[in-house]
Amino acid sequence: MERVVGIDLGTTNSLVAVLDGDSPRVLPDPETGATLLPSAVAFLPGDEVRVGEAARALAAERPFDTILSVKRFMGLGLEHVSEEDRRRYRFVEGSQGVVRFAVAGREVTAPEVSAHVLRELKRWAEAALGGAVSKAVITVPAYFNDSQRQATKDAGRLAGLEVLRLVNEPTAASLAYGLNERAEGTIAVYDLGGGTFDVSILKLRAGVFEVLATNGDTRLGGDDLDARVTELLLAELPEALRSHPQIRAQVRAMAERAKRALSDAARTEVELTTPDGRRVQRAITRDEFEALVKDLVERTGRPSRQALKDAGLEPADVEEVVAVGGSTRVPLVRRYMQELFGRPPLVGIDPDQVVALGAGIQAGILTGGRRDMLLLDVIPLSLGIETMGGVFTRIIDRNVTIPVSHTEHFTTAVDNQTSVDVHVLQGERELAADNRSLARFSIPIEPLPAGVPRLECTFLIDANGILCVTASDLRSGRERTIEVKPSYGLTDEEIERMLEESFDHAEDDIRQRQLREARIDADTILHATQTSLARHADRLEPGEGDRIRSALSALAEARDGEDHNRIRDLYDQLSAATEPFAQRIMDSALHEALVSRPLEEL
Amino acid sequence: MMRAETFNHECWHCSRRTGLALVCLHCEAPQPLPPAADIFTVLGLPRRLVVDPHDLEDRYHAASRAVHPDRHQTASDRERELSLSASATVNRAYRTLRDPVARGRYWLELHGSPLGDRNNQVPPALAALVFETQEQLEALRDAGGAGAERGTVEAVRGELQDRVRALADELEERYATWDAADPGAPEVLAELKRRLSEIAYLSTLLDDVDETLAEGEHA
Repeated sequence: MERVVGIDLGTTNSLVAVLDGDSPRVLPDPETGATLLPSAVAFLPGDEVRVGEAARALAAERPFDTILSVKRFMGLGLEHVSEEDRRRYRFVEGSQGVVRFAVAGREVTAPEVSAHVLRELKRWAEAALGGAVSKAVITVPAYFNDSQRQATKDAGRLAGLEVLRLVNEPTAASLAYGLNERAEGTIAVYDLGGGTFDVSILKLRAGVFEVLATNGDTRLGGDDLDARVTELLLAELPEALRSHPQIRAQVRAMAERAKRALSDAARTEVELTTPDGRRVQRAITRDEFEALVKDLVERTGRPSRQALKDAGLEPADVEEVVAVGGSTRVPLVRRYMQELFGRPPLVGIDPDQVVALGAGIQAGILTGGRRDMLLLDVIPLSLGIETMGGVFTRIIDRNVTIPVSHTEHFTTAVDNQTSVDVHVLQGERELAADNRSLARFSIPIEPLPAGVPRLECTFLIDANGILCVTASDLRSGRERTIEVKPSYGLTDEEIERMLEESFDHAEDDIRQRQLREARIDADTILHATQTSLARHADRLEPGEGDRIRSALSALAEARDGEDHNRIRDLYDQLSAATEPFAQRIMDSALHEALVSRPLEEL
Repeated sequence: MMRAETFNHECWHCSRRTGLALVCLHCEAPQPLPPAADIFTVLGLPRRLVVDPHDLEDRYHAASRAVHPDRHQTASDRERELSLSASATVNRAYRTLRDPVARGRYWLELHGSPLGDRNNQVPPALAALVFETQEQLEALRDAGGAGAERGTVEAVRGELQDRVRALADELEERYATWDAADPGAPEVLAELKRRLSEIAYLSTLLDDVDETLAEGEHA
């Protein structure tokens, strides 16, 4: 049976894992053996795309075309993009309010950018497992709303992956942790990643992982700590350099390295070479860093306390605190966790890998590999509809276990009304306008006097935390199809179009790869033939040398062209032309080896 | 899970007799729930006001293991659909039954006498307390959400929380007494309704207090 993989699609790094027998393992890059894929995508002129380390290396050189931390833009509209981000990338507004990046002469949405990362992980997994991979579990921050979840699912689809389940990151981490430690009882998972913060309170009992409450901040993470250090460093540079996009990107990378260094050392140095060749050096101490980011770290306090409160617990009720996400390596973060929960955090599993390992376990649960474990997760944000006067009327409360459904009845306000319009939102605020708009839809009805039609509308949140709406006309008993217009999301048609385009590109990609491989083979035979001609000219038959040399120059010329089939053909011709010559060299080498050996060995 | 006592229910999927279980005893396909099934029946519990929390949790976990979509991911569309709706029902049953107040409200609905969403009438026993609290909240708002008024309101919040908790505990004690007699009797329903409206009213008041205190924090 085809293997289902678990993917941690992170803000900074992404990983892929699989359940092997009873335990999960992370799958490496077949070329380098690395397990972390930087979630970086660089767009180059001529439709070329680079992913991962190769893309991150281009960030300083091509800051606008290299998208880092694309996760922060998933499911967002242009109005949610910050000033700093507008300086960092070039945005254009797309249809359905979805943000698009203008990169290297084209426009791409966040799900398309993420799909490149997913496709690369799919390639890693296929190489490691030795077979096609088309199904995956993908993790999302627990505090992701419906649009952000939908965008993640779209990214999977665009990458040629059927997303069997979206799993909340802290919950996935708890699976890996629970399996590893055989833990029982109440735990808190504190997950501070590159761009998002989640906190979940769970009860673990006899293989059931029940989330009691979750909270978070989808706009808080290690990136924000880096930004503080970046600001500090930039402020000390001359004005002319400060606004230079390449310098900014370089300083950003430096700030990130300094942050990492300060997790182990009390002091670190950064050094920048300006375009005019000057070197600027500066030391940063851990104390200085902590003072810079203290308020950011403390922003994790309110969601943590709220999650405890929603779970009906006191900090003392929490038996274990699990640290997840690279940012929990920062000593200040660990101290603050201890302050919040009154106990030192547990860091038994690599905080960079734990979410992916959990996703791998969940993939195994879905395919029957771990019948003993079961996840019961919750909806992170209340769901409701806009009612008279712009009021937000809650229909499903936050922290309710999913799947959950709610039925609502509607009628008409005026005679002969032909449809009822519903606006669905998500959030905790009293006014509809203060919450996140998810979708608008219209239910068609037969024209009747006001108040006579009776519509029943069911809002169902599935195990992915994604909303599905169905409606029926109670008078006729007929199901009504609903056209849902996502407020910030891609429509099915857009995804179809993108898929078609990516198939076109996939052909390009395959051609590129075939060309690259053909060139490598050509280089090998060209080099071997030239060496043999020089070394064993005495073994050539009359006329043979000219034949070989003409085949050789034909292949050398084709090798620099773009046609891989022509390279292959000429490769075969050269190979045929040199075959008797190669045989003679082999024979004589063997003969020499035999005659030079002492007689008694024969 | 439900037991197959009186039913000769046939599985839609494998056509074998499976009783009134959430999933087929033979092929594990989720079964459609009878439209009139109450949430006690869903978790295989007798219709009683008292529910043992440990037993409830065990039943909930067992039912979830049977119907949760994670268990039917590779099945047909129809099975997955049934698993989704059964799972939502099981979750609702657990959510309602584990909380004595929600359970009480459900009991009233089940007996055709729902509490209703809007309780505009102040229960007489609470009139004085409500009036006093509203005045204190007003004073806190006038003071810009800070100062001595804040301390007063915070103290009130503590008292209200204690009171709601005490009322809920008292309710649970009454449940045992009512179960022993006739929990569906009209006088029991009336008494249950009175107690639940007091709790509902205090909870709404507590929300107001929380909201006013939160406004003060933002200011």
